[in-house]
Amino acid sequence: MLPSHLPIANKLLASLPRSEYQRLLPQLEMVQLTEGEVLCEAGTLMRYVYFPCTALLSLLTRVDEVEVFAVALVGREGVSSVACALGSQTSPFRTLVQSPGTAMRMKARVFTAEFRATAALREVVLAYVLQLTLQISQTAACNRFHVIEERLARWLLMTRDRLSSDHFHMTHEMLGNLLGVRRVGVTHAAHALKQRHLIDYSRGAIDIVDGIGLQAAACSCYRMVEGRHGKA
Amino acid sequence: MPTSPLPRQNHLLAALPAAEFNRLEGDLERVRLSLGEVLYESGCKLSHVYFPTSAIVFLLYVLEDGGMAEVAIIGNEGMLGIFMFMGGETTPSRAVVQSAGWGYRLKAERMNTEFKRAGPLMRLLLRYTQALISQITQTAVCNRHHSIDQQLCRWLLLSMDRLSSDTLSMTQDLIANMLGVRREGVAEAAAKLQRAGLIRYSRGRITVLDRPGLEQRVCECYAVVKREFDWLLSDIPPGDPKHVLGPSMPD
Repeated sequence: MLPSHLPIANKLLASLPRSEYQRLLPQLEMVQLTEGEVLCEAGTLMRYVYFPCTALLSLLTRVDEVEVFAVALVGREGVSSVACALGSQTSPFRTLVQSPGTAMRMKARVFTAEFRATAALREVVLAYVLQLTLQISQTAACNRFHVIEERLARWLLMTRDRLSSDHFHMTHEMLGNLLGVRRVGVTHAAHALKQRHLIDYSRGAIDIVDGIGLQAAACSCYRMVEGRHGKA
Repeated sequence: MPTSPLPRQNHLLAALPAAEFNRLEGDLERVRLSLGEVLYESGCKLSHVYFPTSAIVFLLYVLEDGGMAEVAIIGNEGMLGIFMFMGGETTPSRAVVQSAGWGYRLKAERMNTEFKRAGPLMRLLLRYTQALISQITQTAVCNRHHSIDQQLCRWLLLSMDRLSSDTLSMTQDLIANMLGVRREGVAEAAAKLQRAGLIRYSRGRITVLDRPGLEQRVCECYAVVKREFDWLLSDIPPGDPKHVLGPSMPD
């Protein structure tokens, strides 16, 4: 059991009434997640839901049976596998650890039962489902209109906000999944941002040098989703 | 315009247990939905939720720079306004009628009250939300990876599934808007499908001539979305939804 006096790193859990959080605490388990770990494969049973604390997850969907493509990021503002609460038996996404760190997890079965029984939990989870739906909608529209460089800037800013850090680790392959492009496309876009002195990177270590400049370089999607619903 | 519909022609209303449906029935208001009508504007407060019976409504996501793209197609299988019960005061997307027909609407507060009972209606709408999220996800994939031809096939088939006829009224401007591409791109894609004998297209009317042909040409996105919506109600037997949606809530 986790100590209940510590600050709550996951914002969704933190926004629950304190008594509600205390009640759920015995059901929560702190886990360390490693980069590249698959927490749940698409189409399989959801065993746990994860409330990221310092870790960052991405939700991936398969394209044409071969490629994968990320539609959303889940950081400390959210929870993974909400589909179980909505009544789905199997996961619609592959849930991948995009950036290592800690998360609290709860058995999906317990989470679903609590969601059904408790209005307070339901309210915060549904507000998050709305945010997630918007994030995915934005990805759909963004993919249509914006060029790789703008989209890369957007995902980097979203990652920064969820990790609260300008430095993080992300391979070109992972970025390729986020952008739905091949590695070489990522390399070109990242190089362009580096030349504009907005970011620096080497061997997967990314450094946001000029956050304001990067915001200007990102498509409006960043401001829209993040601005409207509060920073992660 | 087809003859006057019944509320239960909407699959979600039809799947509700009798107690829930009866409670809502008196407050359901029949509405005619005409081509191009905007049911929700991005950023506006929702006054009603809509259950289409024969109309088709497209959910468009509006970007800050004015660009917009279709994220979902909603017809008699669904409902417009799920954002409302998720605590969203305003809708971030625009809902436009793309095929004229009928529907029923319900005042937003009324829906909220019923949702908060946390009974069968809530469970049904949550399932629907999941199916809708899957559709939006698939649109994101499709927008990135598939050709305009394939996308045109996808939404033609999704629209057909939500209509009881094989003819759609739709202008090229509306289609272009929806797919977020230029008008010429749509004209070219439609011409290609017409040459292949799959559709007939003239003066804003699209008739599907060869449905299996469209199914062969469409990207996987269609099957993924269809499976999701087939699942939505598949295990809810008519008249006895109790074991899936839970017991009815007393008045």
